[in-house]
Amino acid sequence: MFHYVARRLLHLIPVLLGISFLVFLLVHLVPGDPVRVMLADAGSPEQVERMRRQLGLDRPIYVQYASFVVRAAQGDFGRSIHTRRPVAQEIAYRIPYTVRMAVAATLVAVAMGVVLGAIAAMHHQSALDYGTMVVALAGVSLPSFWFGLVLILVFSLHLRWLPPAGADSFLHLILPAITLGTGASAIIARLTRSSMLEVLSQDYIRTARAKGLGPRRLVYRHALKNAMIPVVSIVGMQFASLLGGAVIVETVFGWPGIGRLAVDAIFTRDIPVIQAVVLVAAVIFVFMNLLVDLLYGLLDPRIRYG
Amino acid sequence: MTRWNALPVLLVVVVLLAMTAGSGGAAPAPARGGTLTMVIGSDPPSLDPHRTPSVNIAHAVMYETLVTVDRRTGEFIPGLAESWEISQDGTAITFKLRRGVKFHDGTPFNAAAVKTTFDRLVSKETNAPGASWVGTLTRTDVVDDLTVRLVFSKPYAPIFSSLRISFLAILSPTAIAKMGADYGQNPVGTGPFRFKQWIPNDRIVYERNPDYAWGPAHYKNRGAPNFDQLIIRIVPDESTRVIAFERGDIDILPGAPARDARRMMREGKFPFIQIPTTSGTYLGFNVKKPPVNDVRVRRAIGHATNTDEVARIALEGLAVPMLSPIAPTIWGYWDGVKQFALNYDLDRARALLAEAGYRPGPGGAMIKDGRQLEFTVWTYARMTNVRVAVVLQSQLRAAGIKLNIEQMEPATLLASTQRGEHDAIMISYGWPDADILFYFFHSSRLPTTNRVHYVNPQVDKLLEDGQTTVDTAKRLEVYKQLQRILLAEVPWVPLASELSVNFNQTAIQDVYYDKFGNLLLLDAFRTR
Repeated sequence: MFHYVARRLLHLIPVLLGISFLVFLLVHLVPGDPVRVMLADAGSPEQVERMRRQLGLDRPIYVQYASFVVRAAQGDFGRSIHTRRPVAQEIAYRIPYTVRMAVAATLVAVAMGVVLGAIAAMHHQSALDYGTMVVALAGVSLPSFWFGLVLILVFSLHLRWLPPAGADSFLHLILPAITLGTGASAIIARLTRSSMLEVLSQDYIRTARAKGLGPRRLVYRHALKNAMIPVVSIVGMQFASLLGGAVIVETVFGWPGIGRLAVDAIFTRDIPVIQAVVLVAAVIFVFMNLLVDLLYGLLDPRIRYG
Repeated sequence: MTRWNALPVLLVVVVLLAMTAGSGGAAPAPARGGTLTMVIGSDPPSLDPHRTPSVNIAHAVMYETLVTVDRRTGEFIPGLAESWEISQDGTAITFKLRRGVKFHDGTPFNAAAVKTTFDRLVSKETNAPGASWVGTLTRTDVVDDLTVRLVFSKPYAPIFSSLRISFLAILSPTAIAKMGADYGQNPVGTGPFRFKQWIPNDRIVYERNPDYAWGPAHYKNRGAPNFDQLIIRIVPDESTRVIAFERGDIDILPGAPARDARRMMREGKFPFIQIPTTSGTYLGFNVKKPPVNDVRVRRAIGHATNTDEVARIALEGLAVPMLSPIAPTIWGYWDGVKQFALNYDLDRARALLAEAGYRPGPGGAMIKDGRQLEFTVWTYARMTNVRVAVVLQSQLRAAGIKLNIEQMEPATLLASTQRGEHDAIMISYGWPDADILFYFFHSSRLPTTNRVHYVNPQVDKLLEDGQTTVDTAKRLEVYKQLQRILLAEVPWVPLASELSVNFNQTAIQDVYYDKFGNLLLLDAFRTR
C-alpha cells in the first residue's frame, strides 16, 4: 500500500513537468503580451522594453521555463505580472473558496444523482425511470451561466430567499452549488442507474431476494454499496472537473475562487498565474485519481494494490 | 471674484434660502453613520496608482490629487493644492499646498510628499503604467514646506487634465519607504475614506477618515464623510450586479448595462442620474490595407453610416451620435465640426464609390475588377460592441459594401493590430482631453496605439502643438484644425459616445457625479 502510493506520487513529477511545459508554451504562442496589457495603451516602446526586462520576459523561453521549474520546486511561483502580488498568495486566497464550492457542489451532485439513479433503476422501464432520465439529460445540457441566472432570478429577486452574489455565508453557497452540482448529478444519476441495474441482475441479489429480503433492505444493504464502485470513480473525476466548471459559475455568482483568477490571468496574459493555477488544478486532479483508486479497495475487497 | 460682486451673489443665496424655507420642502438633514455599498465589475489590479494600468472609484475614494474639477462647471478647482501659478513660458507650475492635511498613517502632507510621489511615479525603476500622464515632467522641486514646483522640459498642456486623475494622487512618503512594492496592499492616502480590507475578487472595505476636513469646494460637507464604512463589492457578471442592486444588497449601481438601464428607467422604482461619458466608439481603418487604403472608400463608408441609428438602436438610445473623433464631453471638442461631419448620405456614398472605380453588380454589391467591396472589422466580444457592429453591417449593405465582423478578446486584438493584420477595428476609448488624438494618430505611436497606421506630417505637427500650446484659445484652434483634417482623411468614422446611467436606492441621498462620470460621495447619506 505504502509503496503503491509512493510510486503514484513519483509518477506525478513527469506529469506535472509535462503539463507545465505545455502551458508555458501555449501562453507564449497565443497572441497578446502581458506587458502591453499592463501598460494599457500609454506605454512608450522604451517603457515596454524596460518592463519586459524587469519581468525577465526578454529571455529565451527555455530559460524562462527552467527558472520557473527551479523556483517552483522551492515553492516560489514568483509574482503576478498584473497585480505584483506573490502568485502563491493569490492562489492561497482563493483555493479555500473554490474547494468549498466544489465540495458543496459534489454533495449536491451525489445526493441528487444517487437518489435519482436508484429510483430509476428500481422502477426500471417505467414512466418514473424515463422521467428521471429525461430530468438528468436536461440537467447535463443546461448551460450553467443560464441556469445560474435563472436560479438568481427566482430565488434572489422574486422569492428573496438567497443572496445573488458574494461569499460571506453558507447562504451564498447554495445557489452556486446547485448550479454546479446539477450538471454533475445528471452524469452520476445515469451511472448509478446502469450500475444498479447490473448489480440487481447478479446472483447474490437473486439469492438475497429468494431468502425473502424486502426490496428496501435489498437495495440499501446489498445493491447500492456495490453499485457505488464505478460511481465513486466518476465522483472523484467530477470533483476535479468541478474546479474547472467553477470558472463560469464563479463569474455569475461573484464568487472569489480560483476559476475567476484563471480567467483574469488568461485575459491579462499573466503567465506566472496561469502556470500556477494549471499546476494546482493538475495536482488536485491527480490526487483525486489516487484517492479514487484507494477508495476502490475499501469498497471492493477483491482489488489489491501491488 | 472681487469683494464687490460678492454682494449680489449673497443676496441671491439668501432669496433662494428663503424660497425653500417658504415652500416647507426642506431637505432631510444628513444622517450620520451606516455603511454604503456600491459595486464594480472587476478587481483593480493594484490599489497603488503607480502599479496599475487603470484607476477607478476604488482609488478615488481614498486618494486625493493636487487639483480636482468642479462638479457643476467642470473647471479645475483646488484639491490638495490651494492655488497654482504657471510660468510665462509654460514650463513650470508652482503649487501652494493646503495646510493641515494628514495622510491616513499620520504623516503630514507637504511639498516633500508631493516630490516623493512624483519622483516615484516617473522613476525608471517604478516603470509606472501611469507615468505618461505627466508628459514632459523633468523634475519636482520643493520650494518650501508648502510650495512645490513641477518643471517640464517643454510645456505640456494636458497636465491639468492629468493632475485630477488618481494616477497622480499624492502618496504617503512614510508608507512608500515602508511598503515599497507592497504599497498596493496597504494603501495610504489623504482621502475621505481610508483602506481597511481587501478580499480579492470579492470586496474592498474602507472606513471613514475621521480627520478629514479638506473636501473640495463643490461639496456641502467638506469634513469627514457621513458613512462609517464604504464597501465596494466586485461582481463580474452584469446581470448579477443588476439583480443584487434591485434586491437592495447594493446601494449604488454605477453604469448599469443599457438593456437593464432602459427597463429600470421605465419601471421607475429607483432614482437614477444619466451622465455623458468621455468615451467614444469609432470604426478605425488600417489605412495601409486595401480596400480601405483609398480615402474615397473610407469617406463613402462614413457617409453610409447612420450614427443616429447606431446610438438609438444599437446602444438603446443611451448614447449620443459622434460627429468628431473627439467626444463632445472632452475638452477640445469643437461645435463647428458639424459642417465637416460625415453626414448620413447614401447618394454621396455611392458617388464616392463610383469615383473610386466601383460599379454596382448583382444584388447591388459594389464591384471593382470583378471583386466585391468587402472588409472585416475586429471588435471585442462584448455585447454593445457586437450590436453596434451588426447595425453597421446592415447600414453598409445598403451602400453595397459587405462588412464581416470578427469578435476577439482584448489582448489578442491589440497584438494583432500592432502587426497591421486588420482591415478595420471597432473599439472605444475614454479620455478627458483632446490630447488623446496624439496616441491614436501621431506617427511616433506606430505601431502601438496608432492602430490605423496613419502617417501625416501635418497632423504630427498639430498634435505636438496641441501638447505644447499653453494658451487655451490657441490650443483650441489647433484641435479645430485637427478635427477638420481627420474628418477629411477619415482614418476613423466616429460613431457614438455612450451615456452612463447610474442608479441608487431611494434612501441614499446627495450622490453626485462630475462631468467626467466620477462618483462624488462626501455629501451622500442614508435617510432614516
